[in-house]
Amino acid sequence: MRVGLLPTDRGGSYRFVIVLLAILGILVSALPVVVVTIMSFSAAETSGFPPDSYSLRWYGEVARLFTNEDSSSAQSVVDSMVTSLVVALIVMVVATGVCIPLAYALARGQRRVREGMELLFTLPLVFPLVMLGIAFLLIAESLALELGIWRIVIPHIALVLPFVLRNCLSAMNGISVELEEAAISLGASPMRAIWDVVIPLMKAGILAGLIFALIISFNEFTITFFMYTIDVSTLPIWMYSRTVSSLDPSTLALSVFIIAADVLLIVLVDKLIAGKGNLF
Amino acid sequence: MSTTTLSKGQALAFAAPAFIAILPFLAACVYILRFSLSAEQGVIEGFSIRAYQDLMTPFFGRSVWLTLKLAFIATVVVMFMAVPLAFLLTSLRGSFARRLLTVTILLPLILNLLVQAYGWILLLGPSGALNTVLKSLGLIERPLFLLFNETGVLLGLIQTSLPLAVFPIVSAVRGISNEHLEVASSLGASNWRILRDVSLPLLRPALVGAASIVFAFNASAFAIPLLLGGRRVQMMGVAIRDMISPLFNWSGAAAAGMILILLTLFVLVVSAWLVRVTTVKTKG
Repeated sequence: MRVGLLPTDRGGSYRFVIVLLAILGILVSALPVVVVTIMSFSAAETSGFPPDSYSLRWYGEVARLFTNEDSSSAQSVVDSMVTSLVVALIVMVVATGVCIPLAYALARGQRRVREGMELLFTLPLVFPLVMLGIAFLLIAESLALELGIWRIVIPHIALVLPFVLRNCLSAMNGISVELEEAAISLGASPMRAIWDVVIPLMKAGILAGLIFALIISFNEFTITFFMYTIDVSTLPIWMYSRTVSSLDPSTLALSVFIIAADVLLIVLVDKLIAGKGNLF
Repeated sequence: MSTTTLSKGQALAFAAPAFIAILPFLAACVYILRFSLSAEQGVIEGFSIRAYQDLMTPFFGRSVWLTLKLAFIATVVVMFMAVPLAFLLTSLRGSFARRLLTVTILLPLILNLLVQAYGWILLLGPSGALNTVLKSLGLIERPLFLLFNETGVLLGLIQTSLPLAVFPIVSAVRGISNEHLEVASSLGASNWRILRDVSLPLLRPALVGAASIVFAFNASAFAIPLLLGGRRVQMMGVAIRDMISPLFNWSGAAAAGMILILLTLFVLVVSAWLVRVTTVKTKG
């Protein structure tokens, strides 16, 4: 008989309550996304639910936004989209690039140092995002720094470091020193051993880190809300500026694309680190 | 001597790029602390605790109280849903079902907060999905006002912080040996009894850890109260923003921010201490 935490055969009130609460949790998690998706296919102008009829008109609207240069808004959606992607790509490459050697040094270094370092690099995770935004804004403004796109890239890198480092570290955990020693005893230099033996073994963790950095940076709103300027602004900020007054259904259609991209990337991460580590 | 142990110099060289990457963050922390002690509101000059004294107003006190209250309620609700979800997630057999549930729970943490706010606005608005359903069931006559007040903010907080609790609990549940449960069950304990006397005590460190992270995350929420609370729900994050944006009281914002940071750190430290104390107790 399987006993488990969720009994399958003799459940009674216990099983009922557990499943009910879990379903409630799933509803709270999923309903907003589901409603956005349904409403994006609405044919009506209003946001009443359920829509009277369905159409693809808002998707056509999004396509028009991307093809026509809209002179009325200060920053077009295309510019924000490009900025978002460029920022996310730089953040992804830089954060992963610095975390791979650090993860290697921590995994091969002393245990005490490792614990302290892990704590230091977890700090951005628990630091209030508003305060990160305000702090970076204060520095950039009071020192009058001309940073261009790095205004957003630098805070984003700090934000994603904990996720990337954790993935690289758990990838390093499974790699024993003997493999490197074997490579060195066969005549490889230590650097060559790292490059040809350790890095390929870390591949899944590195890829997971890259994707994590990409999604977090691409979806980030709070810090960017403080740091954006007229010249450098991202897609979430553009969406915010569109909806301050009222909800515009074409942004819902755009949201569906973002949801689809995020789901795809999360599934990819989940596949990469399946069974090995945890998402956090 | 093994050739693969890193020398101190090598280790430093390997860690240096990451340090440079995190340096702006550390600088930002120091800068905020220094600004909160500035004697001037707009620039860093001299030392004074006036910014902190100026915060001792009923308005800021209400904001702190509201923040603590909403974060606490959201944490309790999240924990009641996170434990069952973790049980469900770990007992799913098929990899497709497991993956689907993982994505469903994780998505709200990662997805652009604007999209989620749209979802809640469409769900909770006067002509939104929830009101339509309730009205057609004849449960209400006039639409409920769920948006731009504490209810809407609370739901948003619960949704976005749920994944932070579920995944640490999932890994703790995986660590529970099935033997414990089998022994309890073969001795005749009911499911509720097993939950109370075996599973929950074994999960306690993970539960305390998860709850503290959820609380800290919710206490420092900004986008959700901004988008779903309007001007009326002044959680600390929003109140701090207002000090900067219309008022230009930068040192005040820095001081309020320091209070927020200390608050979240306090919760995290106390819970880490609690975890240590309780694990020692169960071992002894």
